[in-house]
Amino acid sequence: MNTSSSFKVFASPPLIFSSRPPKNASQNPRFSSKVPRSCPKTIRCMRDSLNLRSSPNAPSALSFATVEAPLGTKTSDKLRILVSEFRSLTEPIDRVKRLLNYAADLAPLDDTARVSANRVPGCTTQVWLDIKMDEFGRMRFKADSDSEISKGFCSCLIWILDGAKPEEVMGVRSEDLSEMNVGVHGKEQSRVNTWQNVLMTMQKRTMTLVAADVAHRGGERPPHHHKHDLLFKYVNGSYMESSTVHDYSISLLPLYYDFTI
Amino acid sequence: MEGVAMKLPSFKSLAPNAISIGHRSFSRVRRSSSLSVFSAASSSATVATNSESVSLGHRVRKDFRILHQEVNGSKLVYLDSAATSQKPSVVLEALQNYYEFYNSNVHRGIHYLSAKATDEFELARKKVARFINASDSKEIVFTRNATEAINLVAYSWGLLNLKPGDEVILTVAEHHSCIVPWQLVSEKTGAVLKYVMLNEDEVPDVDKLREMLSPKTKLVAVHHVSNVLASCLPIEEIVVCAHNVGAKVLVDACQSVPHMVVDVQKLNADFLVASSHKMCGPTGIGFLYGRSDLLQSMPPFLGGGEMISDVFLDHSTYAEPPSRFEAGTPAIGEAIALGAAIDYLSEIGMPKIHEYEVELGKYLYEKLSSLPDVRIYGPRPSESVHRGALCSFNVEGLHPTDLATFLDQQHGVAIRSGHHCAQPLHRYLGVNASARASLYFYNTKEDVDSFVVALADTVSFFNSFK
Repeated sequence: MNTSSSFKVFASPPLIFSSRPPKNASQNPRFSSKVPRSCPKTIRCMRDSLNLRSSPNAPSALSFATVEAPLGTKTSDKLRILVSEFRSLTEPIDRVKRLLNYAADLAPLDDTARVSANRVPGCTTQVWLDIKMDEFGRMRFKADSDSEISKGFCSCLIWILDGAKPEEVMGVRSEDLSEMNVGVHGKEQSRVNTWQNVLMTMQKRTMTLVAADVAHRGGERPPHHHKHDLLFKYVNGSYMESSTVHDYSISLLPLYYDFTI
Repeated sequence: MEGVAMKLPSFKSLAPNAISIGHRSFSRVRRSSSLSVFSAASSSATVATNSESVSLGHRVRKDFRILHQEVNGSKLVYLDSAATSQKPSVVLEALQNYYEFYNSNVHRGIHYLSAKATDEFELARKKVARFINASDSKEIVFTRNATEAINLVAYSWGLLNLKPGDEVILTVAEHHSCIVPWQLVSEKTGAVLKYVMLNEDEVPDVDKLREMLSPKTKLVAVHHVSNVLASCLPIEEIVVCAHNVGAKVLVDACQSVPHMVVDVQKLNADFLVASSHKMCGPTGIGFLYGRSDLLQSMPPFLGGGEMISDVFLDHSTYAEPPSRFEAGTPAIGEAIALGAAIDYLSEIGMPKIHEYEVELGKYLYEKLSSLPDVRIYGPRPSESVHRGALCSFNVEGLHPTDLATFLDQQHGVAIRSGHHCAQPLHRYLGVNASARASLYFYNTKEDVDSFVVALADTVSFFNSFK
């Protein structure tokens, strides 16, 4: 199962890895040799259930704290962690590989979720996004794409936002992601700007679910109502039905990115 | 030829600085004249790179400074000319000269600068007319681009002439700019759109098109060269058949005018559109060719200054074509620069450019098809089938966007990925997107080689992740 040759090319150990058995031996060999037995539950915790605490046995092989990000790690912290991770990869090819690793790590999306209602509009690749609100009022995301790089982006976004509160989802801005510097060729909105489109869709549909949830509870205004209003305006970018136009003069990471920072 | 390529002699007296620029462009003209002598000496523009005969691509590269750069640590290999072409320095200089020495509003002023600008602007119109062999420069309407030109025909000619039940024939391979305006207009008029599908050679089925023609057909709007399939339609034939049933023909010549001789008299089309930016000219200008009698019969498209004759509070009378369709201040400098681009292309000679591109395009096709798992769309090149110098393709198991991203980042190769403004075509072909490498006369065999090597590397990279 160890094809360790594919590991040697990495400048630093994979950040996210899975302790679940790979679908087949040849598909995810890159994760196997570096998976310390004791550790990975934390990541699975983050993704699968929010009830487990972090494992105290963080692997020393991994230089990033993400692995032990406990329940309640704020979105902003996760953002910071991901930014520093990508920044540490100085070789452009390593960033692509990291992104492709993330892509492989993306939880699969049911075929039932691959419907046009779940399509992220405006992307040149096809991206499907499945969004739910769990019983704790937190947002749960699943995504898939026909492009491996887009899958990588989705995987990163989901890692940051899966399990977050709606306000946290709404609080992520273009500028935050551009700091990640997975590369910014152009700063303007464009159809190839998968990051931005996916984020906007996540935020818009979060708002819809929040509104539905509020309505369901008898129309009581949630405490942060005014914040939601403000945040809803933010969501109104292109490719969405909106009456206000938001100025996205700093774009999110476009699909092409600058490795030369 | 030289007189056309240079600025008007009287221009030199305009400002002392102008003389030095005039000299510069004069020396450039001289240099390229000597090169054209050179090329005449070496039988034809060949693709070979041995020292005996330098290919057209190699010869002209010095005129395109933008090509001499590195992107992401690799030499730029620009293979996206079907999206927009690069501009030779003479075109940029023409634009600069206009603004620097005789910028002034056209058709209105009495003063010297205005007269000069008007002369140059109308000279550019004449150059366009000559380039496509229109019978009169009044048949050339300057627009923002080909898309606007098609919209002009749709909203001006279409709204007037299309009645409920009338048919407009398009192909499934049309660019969106030759589909959407007709959709908008058919909604308003009740006309019906009919689409010609592809045949087994992946070319629009001209036989089916002939069958579709009927007295109900009022317009046939087709591309000349497809920006995805690289196929070339027999426009002359189509026009004959269409005219037989009383239908007009609009030709979208965006991918043909820059690459080959296009003679509107020979084609006998009613309308023809093209964009400047695909033919070494600047963005922001394009043109519509319309037969005089047709343009005469068409109502205005956009209203404003320039296109009027007299304006009253409750009505206005309109100018003659082409002014009738050129409301407001035009892109004067851009039109003049387009004229310079036409001069540049004519200097090289469109037949020569076409010959070079046919060979280079064939080379691209052959090298690309030699890679495994590559599916190229459109007809196979042969003695009878000349493809345009572009290849839209897909690699099995690899999304074209991933491919294009990697090519750019690791190899500096610029190709396009997506639906190339031809979603119906992609849907017909059963794919969501494709990658496209497109050549122009400033590309070389080495560009194609670099591309193929980079592509092979890209494929093996992504395969290693499977």
